[in-house]
Amino acid sequence: MLNPFFQQGSLTEQGLIQDLINEQLRMYGVEVHYLPRKYLTEKTIIREVIQSSFADAYPIEAYVENFDGYADNTTILSKFGIQQSQELTLTISRERFKTYISPLIKDKSNIKLSTRPKEGDLIYFPLGDRLFEIKFVEHEKPFYQLQKNYVYTLKCELFRYEDEVIDTTIAEIDDLLLGGNLDGLTEDGISTLLGVTQTLTLVGAGVTATATAGIVTSGGIRLITVTNRGGGYTSTPRVGISSAPVGKVTGVATATMISGIVVCTDSANPNAQSVQSVQIINPGAGYTVTPSIKFVGGGGSGAAATATLGDGVVGIITITAGGSGYSTSPTVTFTNQIFLSGVTTVAAAATAVVSSAGTITAIRITNAGVGYSIAPLITIGDPSTSGVGTFSANETVTGSISGVTARVRSWNSTTSVLEVSNVTGAFVIKENIVGSESGASYALRLIDTNPTEDGYSDNANIESQADAIIDFSERNPFGIP
Amino acid sequence: MFEYFYNEILRRTVIAFGTLFNNISIKHINSSNQVVSDLKVPLAYGPTQKFLARLTQSPDLNKAVAMTLPRMSFEFTGLTYDPSRKVTTTQTFTVKSATDGDVTKKAFMPVPYNMQFELSIMSKLNDDALQIIEQILPYFQPSYNLTVELVDEINEKRDIPIVLENVTMQDDYEGDFSTRRVLLYTLRFTAKTFLFGPVTTATKDIIKTSKVSFLAGTDPTNTTRELAFVSTPRAIKNYTGTILTTLANDVTAFDVLIPVDSAASITTNTYLDIGDEEVYVVSKSGNNLTVKRGQDKTTATTHLKGDPVKSITSADNLLIPDGDDFGFSGNIT
Repeated sequence: MLNPFFQQGSLTEQGLIQDLINEQLRMYGVEVHYLPRKYLTEKTIIREVIQSSFADAYPIEAYVENFDGYADNTTILSKFGIQQSQELTLTISRERFKTYISPLIKDKSNIKLSTRPKEGDLIYFPLGDRLFEIKFVEHEKPFYQLQKNYVYTLKCELFRYEDEVIDTTIAEIDDLLLGGNLDGLTEDGISTLLGVTQTLTLVGAGVTATATAGIVTSGGIRLITVTNRGGGYTSTPRVGISSAPVGKVTGVATATMISGIVVCTDSANPNAQSVQSVQIINPGAGYTVTPSIKFVGGGGSGAAATATLGDGVVGIITITAGGSGYSTSPTVTFTNQIFLSGVTTVAAAATAVVSSAGTITAIRITNAGVGYSIAPLITIGDPSTSGVGTFSANETVTGSISGVTARVRSWNSTTSVLEVSNVTGAFVIKENIVGSESGASYALRLIDTNPTEDGYSDNANIESQADAIIDFSERNPFGIP
Repeated sequence: MFEYFYNEILRRTVIAFGTLFNNISIKHINSSNQVVSDLKVPLAYGPTQKFLARLTQSPDLNKAVAMTLPRMSFEFTGLTYDPSRKVTTTQTFTVKSATDGDVTKKAFMPVPYNMQFELSIMSKLNDDALQIIEQILPYFQPSYNLTVELVDEINEKRDIPIVLENVTMQDDYEGDFSTRRVLLYTLRFTAKTFLFGPVTTATKDIIKTSKVSFLAGTDPTNTTRELAFVSTPRAIKNYTGTILTTLANDVTAFDVLIPVDSAASITTNTYLDIGDEEVYVVSKSGNNLTVKRGQDKTTATTHLKGDPVKSITSADNLLIPDGDDFGFSGNIT
């Protein structure tokens, strides 16, 4: 016979117990965050969620049942690197979930089932800064006291991460994938990034290059005119110039090539090129007789050129600062041009050579001018793409040409290295990488798709070691030879 | 046993095997058919030192997640002798040394061994594992050949067939909710490699002269040598880089009188190399040389004032590269 003084399950009795439990949880619990999973894409037949994100985190008090810590030996070395298997059992209040979290997530997009905590959702556990995945929700322990259950017991295990987006706007949760280090590196420079990322090296803020020119008062090479482009060159031929008289300076020049010109006498080799122009590196000095020009090597034939001499031509151009941030060849202008009187005068012209690192490595003279009385000044154009801004963590970046998007993991403004995850395709070198929130924009210089992956991944090493010993004249079906 | 040697053949085969799989990607595609994430699958050689793994993979001790997936790992699991590929033990390779023109390198025939490899793929989603497996299997029919330079010293490149032996998969999804699903594919391969012994050096084996004799007569014990051809390779260009002088003026393709800056170091009846054209010095008068142009099928071309005039001497003969056919095309004209 049950005690007649109790109603054995009236709403008020149940409410009292629930209140007492809530009170206890608030006193002895730990404030964890509950991260509901957003189900973005599901695969049918194989029945898996292949794309999910965690965009919200709700603080809730929970009692930790692991009062004596995690089990022993939860960190093991497997063939897939270090695996951790810490497990956590948490008790949360039913009422608190129902009245606090359920209404907040109920009408959000891509949330399945808002009425109860569910398997697959995440718990951020602040002690130890870890992310747990709910494996199982036990709802009947303790068993129907006063005909009702008051708590959920969440059985959790450390999350296995793949490419889920974790963007809760709570900094201590969002930086978990950086290993808690804002730049994804420990103080000793060991990578702590979690998950597969690509490393994009961007062109930092541009610096304008500077250069100075000399002057050759007599017998310098003014310009070299190509009289016959020739054909069939598979590499750039060397430009030979007759030497200057004893004690004087012999000129140096280089050829630029053009492809796509069909020379009837050469077999149709799509890689074959012809000489487009000859640019002067050093106009030489002291020539009394016009030197001859010869093209040596390169595999082709027929190219010919003539030189023109002049007095008062621009001499060797020395780069005083290579600048940075160049992606295309800037304009080169000559200023402070003071000419001799009573002679024919022509202004000089030159082009700049841009290296893959975005600096100016050389200035090549296309016409050294004639009649200068003093060396003119050289002005090199500003870098056309100068990066601006600071990428913010977790924002989406877009390639201006490819349209590929990715998510920022970390940004190092000193080295201009951007680590990105969730890349949707292949970025293109030289396009601008634009941040959606920060508005930061930088040109892309290098892409390294090899994942850094918290010290496990060794793809880059294996590839570079194999390059030295493997003959991939046959194509490597799995990689770049 | 008898001497120290280490050709790194086993290590090279491990690297060669690994590189087959180091560029595999998986893609996640959403319902509107757009790629939402393109991941290159991390790969590593599984076995490592425990402290090193701990150091590089958990530098901060605390790791926020259990591990990241997908991952691939491979490991070398065993070696067996392969009698079917055995060749005679007495044969040797003899090749010219890559570094020293005066010596040859010699190695005996290798012993064939099969190396067993295991490639393991762990993923969070079966969809990922299927993408990886499907990118691997079609290339193994059932073998895929890799050309690996096994021994540097003798430039020995060998085709190493990598044979896919079997594929096993494990998908533990049943059971209570206290254990997680484990998705594991294991591919077993055999790499048919060759183990070479020590490479020795010999100085006497370089052929510097060849001789062909024609014998006449029907009596095999008493024949007469009618004719003998002796051929000694001679360099037709300069290899040493020795510059004797420079041209004092431009020279056309037809000039036989060549002005040089100083003819003092040039001797008559020798060969010179001017811009890869071989010329023969007939006589000299002051600083002018009378020469025969375009010797030994080199092409007479124009040369410029200041071009270097190089010598061709016996020192160049020694530097003729391996395999130079001296322009001989195989046709006698």
